Amino acid sequence: MTPPVRALVTVLGLDQHEAGSLAVARLLRDAGVEVVYAGRFQLPETIATIAVQEDVDVVGVSAHSWEFLHYAEELAERLGAAEPAIPVLVGGSVVTGADRDEILKVGIDEAVLPTATEDEILAAFRRLADAHRAQR
Amino acid sequence: MIAAGTSTRPDRALFYTPASVEVDYDAKLGDPGSFPYTRGTRAPRERAAGESHDIIVRELSGEGPPERSNAQFHYLLEHGATGLDVIGDTPTQCFMDPDHPYARHAVGNQGVSICRAADFVALYDGIPLDRVSCDHSLPSGFAAAGLFLAAEAHGHGAEILRGSAILPPLFAEDTAYSSNLPIELHMRLATDSIEFCADHMPKFHPFIEDTYYISDGSVDIVDEMALGFVELREVVRRLVARGVDVDRFAPRIALLVNCRMDFFEEIAKIRASRRIYARMMRDEFGAKDPRSLAINVAAHTSGATMTSRQIANNISRGAIQALALTLAGVRAMEISAFDEAIRTPSREAHLIGLRTQHVVRLETGAADVADPLGGSWYVEALTDDLERRILERVRFIEDLGDVVELAEGGFFRAIFAEAMVDRAKEVTEGRRPVVGVNVNEVPLEDDTLLRDMAEERIAPCYERIEEIKAWRAGRDHGAVVAALDGLEQTCRSGANVMPGLLEALRADASMGECIGVLRECHGRPYDPLRCVERPR
Repeated sequence: MTPPVRALVTVLGLDQHEAGSLAVARLLRDAGVEVVYAGRFQLPETIATIAVQEDVDVVGVSAHSWEFLHYAEELAERLGAAEPAIPVLVGGSVVTGADRDEILKVGIDEAVLPTATEDEILAAFRRLADAHRAQR
Repeated sequence: MIAAGTSTRPDRALFYTPASVEVDYDAKLGDPGSFPYTRGTRAPRERAAGESHDIIVRELSGEGPPERSNAQFHYLLEHGATGLDVIGDTPTQCFMDPDHPYARHAVGNQGVSICRAADFVALYDGIPLDRVSCDHSLPSGFAAAGLFLAAEAHGHGAEILRGSAILPPLFAEDTAYSSNLPIELHMRLATDSIEFCADHMPKFHPFIEDTYYISDGSVDIVDEMALGFVELREVVRRLVARGVDVDRFAPRIALLVNCRMDFFEEIAKIRASRRIYARMMRDEFGAKDPRSLAINVAAHTSGATMTSRQIANNISRGAIQALALTLAGVRAMEISAFDEAIRTPSREAHLIGLRTQHVVRLETGAADVADPLGGSWYVEALTDDLERRILERVRFIEDLGDVVELAEGGFFRAIFAEAMVDRAKEVTEGRRPVVGVNVNEVPLEDDTLLRDMAEERIAPCYERIEEIKAWRAGRDHGAVVAALDGLEQTCRSGANVMPGLLEALRADASMGECIGVLRECHGRPYDPLRCVERPR
């Protein structure tokens, strides 16, 4: 039997708003995903460390402050350095179309706008997790 | 099209009659300005032609270094604001100095960066502190201390200072900005600053019970006020227990409530809360001064009701909320800027927020008569119902045990977390209609009105980080160390920490250093993130 997808859900820097991350964590859990919830006060370095230690298939970062724009490149680099690279999805209330273009350019694998439906969010997580497992 | 599902609309009759509510005018209502203050805390008075009403008009503001926020204040005052409402950036709200490694990309882009006495002096430069009330969404204790020092530097006595500081001691770690302080330390800063202000800043409201913080993560209207009263009651109990006469501090307690979109329920909530407070302070805490029984209510309209889709709709929402608050008789309000769902308010959104208040206040006549909905069978029934449900919930929670232990044990965090998720699901499942989001949608490519403005970004103030690093290196190190040692001794002795805090700030200790020392006194590490060390 294929083990369930493992996803790390977290928030970057000093972003204090957890509504989105908690909602996504529950959405994933209800869909059968094993969720590792790292909560607030995480930097790219700590996120990468937890992701590797917890052997997750995908990382989801919820954003309600603009810090994600400035951490995106380092986050993508650190998760990209894992073997195999761990894909990362960024989404949240403040992410605009222009932001999506910008962070995809620096290596974030997927960006989810506030208009995304639950099904779209789940599909994005699954797509990234499947791609990661295929490389193992 | 709204998806199928159970509506979140509360149960209400199709219409109300005299049989719907029992109105005992003297016991439950009273004239405006009379016990139990359901209809307002002040007796209405005649006004001269052109004289404005007493509602304080303000907008939440603060951006970049203190100097930039000061310019923002002057702009708002020049455009019709009659009060200021300053919010710190995220590091400031977390009691964290801007040169802390975790603060790097969050300095000054979602509020003002404040960490030292000189920052408060710059923040209020040229502001007529004797006339303008200054509300603070800034860390407990430091807001009052900073305003005190700013007044001192600008040649004012502290006794003239007006305004307020929000204090969410019980819930700060769960619903606001986590600063990794034990609840006991939050409570200590709250009660010490209240007692200090009672002696030194008698016109200042050092304790705003802020139910906005509690509720905008989305607990319902009953929990908003019930949790607020649980917190308020704990603070009052502690002050009374330390021997402070209730009538010495109670006149300066105020409420800052949320205002969402259920128009009549929000009005009834404010009326019910004034009545609950009056009866509670008289009957339970023995307050005798009428000013101790009449709680001023201010309001901030809900940022969570602002949507990132069809962003111009938020202007309508702000106007409706401002009208509700005016009819409810709040003493001050700020409207969430229409771009709040996406960014820290732009100058244009600030101005629209002010003008919305001006239109409601000056053009509609809604503020001309006190409590104009008083006597409405519907509003009185809602007021009674909310009063009953709020009090039941307060009793239920307090019967569970010590509220600080409940907070430390995660009881409230679970309530907030569950509410956050439930609220998100209500919208995604279509049970709560939100125009432009789950109903009356337009394609993303057509959703362009005001979008460019709303999506402009404020860059982090990296230069502010460098400025603080240079300032830190150039201080009288010995004086800083001595002042922090003094603060530690004061804290460990059990005395009021405010004088020690003022001395430390005067000696150029930073807010992050002061809170680090206070953390150590309460058994926590100086820097829970293990990045900076205490000056020795």
